[in-house]
Amino acid sequence: MTNQIKLTINNRECVGESGQTILEVARRHGINIPTLCQDARVEIYGSCGICVVEVENVPKLLRACATMAADGMVVNTKTERVYKTRQSALELLLSDHTGDCLAPCKLACPAQTDCQGYVGLIANGEYGEAIKLIKDRIPLPLAIGRVCPHPCEDACRRQLVEEPISILALKQFAADLDLANGDVFTAEVGESTGKNIAIIGGGPGGLSAAYFLRILGHDATVYDAMPHMGGMLRYGIPEYRLPKAILQREIDGIEKMGVKFYNNTKIGRDVTLDELRGKFDAVIVAVGAWSSVGLGCPGEDLDGVIGGIDFLRDVDLNDKVFIGRKVAVVGGGNTAMDACRTAVRLGADAVYNVYRRTRNEMPAQEIEIIEAEEEGVIFKDLTNPIEVLGEDGLVKAVRLQIMELGEPDELGRLTSTPVAGQEETIEIDTLIVTIGQKLDGVGLEVLKQTNRGTIIADEHTFQTNIDGVFAIGDATNKGADIAISAIGEARRAVSVIDKHLKIEQLTIKPQYLVKTDKTEADLAHKEKEARAKMPHRPANERKNDFAEINLGLSEEEARREANRCLECGCLDYFECRLIKYANEYDVHPEKYEGKMNHHDQKDDIPGVHRTPDKCVLCGLCVRLCAEDVGAGILGLVGRGFETFVNPAGDMHECSDCGKCAEVCPTGALMKQVEGKAVPLKK
Amino acid sequence: MKISVGRGSCGNAAGAGEIFELLENGVAALGVDCPVSVVGCIGACYLEPIVNVLSRNGETRTFVKVTPDAVAGILQYVASSQQSAAAAFEISPKDLENIETQQRIALRNCGIIDPENIDDYVAREGYAAIEKCVKTMTPEQVIEEMKLSGLGGRGGAGFPTWFKWNAARQAEPAPFPRSDSCEQTSARHDGSHKALNKKYIICNADEGDPGAFMDRAVIEGDPHAMIEGMLIAAYAIGSDEGIVYVRAEYPLAIVRLEKALEQARTMGFLGNNLFGSDFSFDIRIKAGAGAFVCGEETALIASLEGERGMPRLKPPFPAQKGYWQKPSNINNVETFANVPWIIRNGGEAFAAIGTENSKGTKVFALTGKIANGGLVEVPMGQTIRDVVYGVGGGIKDGKNFKAVQLGGPSGGCIPAELIDTVIDYKALAETGAIMGSGGMVVMDESTCMVDMARFFLDFTCKESCGKCTHCRIGTRRMLEILERICGGDGREGDIELLSDLAEQIKEGSLCALGQTAPNPVLTTLRYFRNEYEDHILRKKCTARQCKPLLTYTIIPEKCVGCTLCVRACAFGAISGEVRKPHMIEQEKCTKCGACVAACKFDAIEVV
Repeated sequence: MTNQIKLTINNRECVGESGQTILEVARRHGINIPTLCQDARVEIYGSCGICVVEVENVPKLLRACATMAADGMVVNTKTERVYKTRQSALELLLSDHTGDCLAPCKLACPAQTDCQGYVGLIANGEYGEAIKLIKDRIPLPLAIGRVCPHPCEDACRRQLVEEPISILALKQFAADLDLANGDVFTAEVGESTGKNIAIIGGGPGGLSAAYFLRILGHDATVYDAMPHMGGMLRYGIPEYRLPKAILQREIDGIEKMGVKFYNNTKIGRDVTLDELRGKFDAVIVAVGAWSSVGLGCPGEDLDGVIGGIDFLRDVDLNDKVFIGRKVAVVGGGNTAMDACRTAVRLGADAVYNVYRRTRNEMPAQEIEIIEAEEEGVIFKDLTNPIEVLGEDGLVKAVRLQIMELGEPDELGRLTSTPVAGQEETIEIDTLIVTIGQKLDGVGLEVLKQTNRGTIIADEHTFQTNIDGVFAIGDATNKGADIAISAIGEARRAVSVIDKHLKIEQLTIKPQYLVKTDKTEADLAHKEKEARAKMPHRPANERKNDFAEINLGLSEEEARREANRCLECGCLDYFECRLIKYANEYDVHPEKYEGKMNHHDQKDDIPGVHRTPDKCVLCGLCVRLCAEDVGAGILGLVGRGFETFVNPAGDMHECSDCGKCAEVCPTGALMKQVEGKAVPLKK
Repeated sequence: MKISVGRGSCGNAAGAGEIFELLENGVAALGVDCPVSVVGCIGACYLEPIVNVLSRNGETRTFVKVTPDAVAGILQYVASSQQSAAAAFEISPKDLENIETQQRIALRNCGIIDPENIDDYVAREGYAAIEKCVKTMTPEQVIEEMKLSGLGGRGGAGFPTWFKWNAARQAEPAPFPRSDSCEQTSARHDGSHKALNKKYIICNADEGDPGAFMDRAVIEGDPHAMIEGMLIAAYAIGSDEGIVYVRAEYPLAIVRLEKALEQARTMGFLGNNLFGSDFSFDIRIKAGAGAFVCGEETALIASLEGERGMPRLKPPFPAQKGYWQKPSNINNVETFANVPWIIRNGGEAFAAIGTENSKGTKVFALTGKIANGGLVEVPMGQTIRDVVYGVGGGIKDGKNFKAVQLGGPSGGCIPAELIDTVIDYKALAETGAIMGSGGMVVMDESTCMVDMARFFLDFTCKESCGKCTHCRIGTRRMLEILERICGGDGREGDIELLSDLAEQIKEGSLCALGQTAPNPVLTTLRYFRNEYEDHILRKKCTARQCKPLLTYTIIPEKCVGCTLCVRACAFGAISGEVRKPHMIEQEKCTKCGACVAACKFDAIEVV
């Protein structure tokens, strides 16, 4: 027989039964009280100290998990005092908790793509799931999977063993397979909100914004100055790296989500910002940076001197672009390599790359430099144009100042300084300048700009100085960046706009994450396995045409490559209660920085991966094993700060039930699975 | 004639074993009828070894700090009754007064009777109280008498003893709500606890505070007082089984307790149908492995049950569901030792001693920079000054009193300006300290209060059971902060961080260990905040205890260039020509202090 009791929790009358704890009654009424150590299957324990609540007329804080609710009790779960104690418990736990909530690859991606997730899914052969996961963050994986400079790989911890995972190639693999299966996968369109957003610019940022807006049910209309959508992906990336037809399939997919496209519509010429502001609920400016930065030396106005992106765009728009027999490309970025290699393909006899430092310092991706060299590009390291020489207004030659490397500057880049009196002049027909891009601000004059000529957009909200106008991508703040950055900004801007349109409170709180730094020594035990190399067409063949040079990984190669993944990110991330609460309670554990316990990872419980350094000593595994399972194979060892969980009993008693892992609130105990244990948001 | 030698742990440590043997052999050689017996500690540990000689005319002479050389003199006295014999070792009138003016209830027999001979105890009205209870009082009357006495638990909290007894008496053995798990725990036991009306009396002899040894002295010196106290409690609550949970680090106490139990059984004070009634009671000993937290009653119960010594949640209180879920009454040794006196003399007599809210006497273990270290029993209501400058004899080496730490690692410090605080649960608590079990560590001007707080935190941090987050990690973090302050790396904001963390640890810990662990820090912050600031902001330790903060320099005006310091320095840090002032190379100096000890001219300055 049970007696009904009435108590007040947070000024709400709650009905419970005698014998129930405050926690149980609160839960029954949908009042969430955080706890790490409570489970109905085991005896009340009360170790974590997180479920504390205040009860009127009781001087001490009480543990909700351990205090029997009583008739007439007045409970408050939300006081400052409760908050502080919960916060301090979490901070103390985190001060002795190590691991990586998220993998370095994911953290390095400007769009926070779950690389570990889709790599794991590919390893497990779940390709459909992999593309879904990619498209959660990247609406254009066919394109990005080909052209991204992959910060993820640069961060990949596998390079401490030998080389990073070929994450880029795996992304392309998943996207190509998706394309081969018919229409590209697109996320489901949300229920219509009746809101309509204009996007100026159909590049990676603009298209992604449209994609994410549609998922949330907002209408999206993209205006673009060029004849086709794609922006720099189309007009700045040469065909041999990203075939237009493939890009178009991806753009078609976005259009099918109900996005309206208007091409050949330039802001300031065909439509004004004011018009758009009047017609739409919000405007996203994603116009990119389409003007080339000039050389700034005598002769730069001669015919035959052309900006890098202008050159690449012309090649795409016209079948025939005259460049002559000898071409020099100034600059060391990816656009410089694209220009060099395009010039090779247009039939130039000699293509020079002019760069003031050496190939080692070039910002271009290494593979691009290697492939350019294979295709015959002549690298003139340590040279800098000081005058373009012409005849009858046409380029004839360029005078190059010989440079030398000096000490690193404040950014760590080696300085390059002229070697007095040393010069070289090379004869050329065309000089392509790829030393930077800037915003063409026509039609956007009302938007405030930085002193470097980019639109000022708030780094969290992407708001410009004009209400309802948001700006993302190359056109803003720091200027031109890689496509994936614009995509990341698109997603974040859309979530801000969504809140803005729904008139919801916008809170910007940095996410708390636990991270570690690993060294080669930490991974010395890993067996070395060669990284998959992207197969590509031989240089002497590929340099004669614009057909795609990368051939893509086979399924076998892709799965083997994906299996190299070290799974750095915590396998429990999406279920971990510690990190969930940590972000709810605005923790700053760094103030308690001190000694941390360390015990090696062990798989000494059958079917379970054990990472003791993530343990919060809630004791649930120990108690569940003893009280619920009846095996009692786990025990607490040591005292005080050094206490840890260890198998203590007769291991034959272990029935391999895995309940210890299930009940673990963190990633300290994880059930072993076949293949990769891909942590996914449920 | 009779000789007794103080052979508590303190006496033995001071060499009483050898003295005892010499006396025994000497008496045998003399051929006189003079038994040499063992007694426990009288409390004046600073005077050990202590030898009492009871002469035929009833006069007792007490010899202190007895060395083997002194034995001949004592034997001469035994043989000749010459007062001049061994006079150099005779206790001083002042020391004698210090012992005789104490009001001894719990320690009434300590140092007087032979703890290994039950007859001695019986001769001093031993077991008369339990007999009185069984034969003339109902259990309710016993509890009523206890209520009248106002005795509070001497383990530290001072909770009314009668209340606990009454709760245990009233407790109905009820089925445990979660029957499944109850079955499981039961399976691990022999089954005797299954008796429906089973209740337990548990004596907490897990004395763990550093510098506290009151309980040890009682068991070593007068074990039957505690046994009789347990008997009376058992009679009052209706228990037939008692357990003494005693630290394994007290081997002598365990041996004497075992003997005492055996003798009590033989004499019919333990066993079935005591004093011809239907009251039966026996006691067994459980040696604990010396975890401080096992002094916490729920952790003690867990340990008794064979579990890891970790506190459990209250409620249910042990009086309702204790050992094996049965009603259990837990009292500390000193508490039990008071009980027979109360029954014999009446609760009112006990209540006549002390203050409004603290009755009777309290035993303190005086340690640290006190002249007369040892055990004292004083009535409640005396002041700290009475204890320190009265029976304590003041500060060692004529230094200045700075503070006392009361209540060990769970307690707090009381500074010099509060030396007139009276010994009373409430008055002490108001200072931020606690009565505690009776450890009183006296500190003089050379004690660094930050270092003192660090010492106690180091203790609690190691003794935390590891269950609660705040205690397990929080005390560790507090210790780390204190270590860096003492190490010269204190940061601005550390004081605030310490006090915040201290508050949180008090809020978030389940048991008294965690709830009180920050007290030494909180009280030193309250009374000696300037010392923390000196360490952190000015990188100075005014008590000159924190080595990393000290600088050793030679005062040229005082140095005569004798080179003694050069030879004393093991690190080659001192150089200079003979007869010219020397210099200390700071990079090489390890601040060991050897030069200061070697210098005859007071020429080395430590700041």
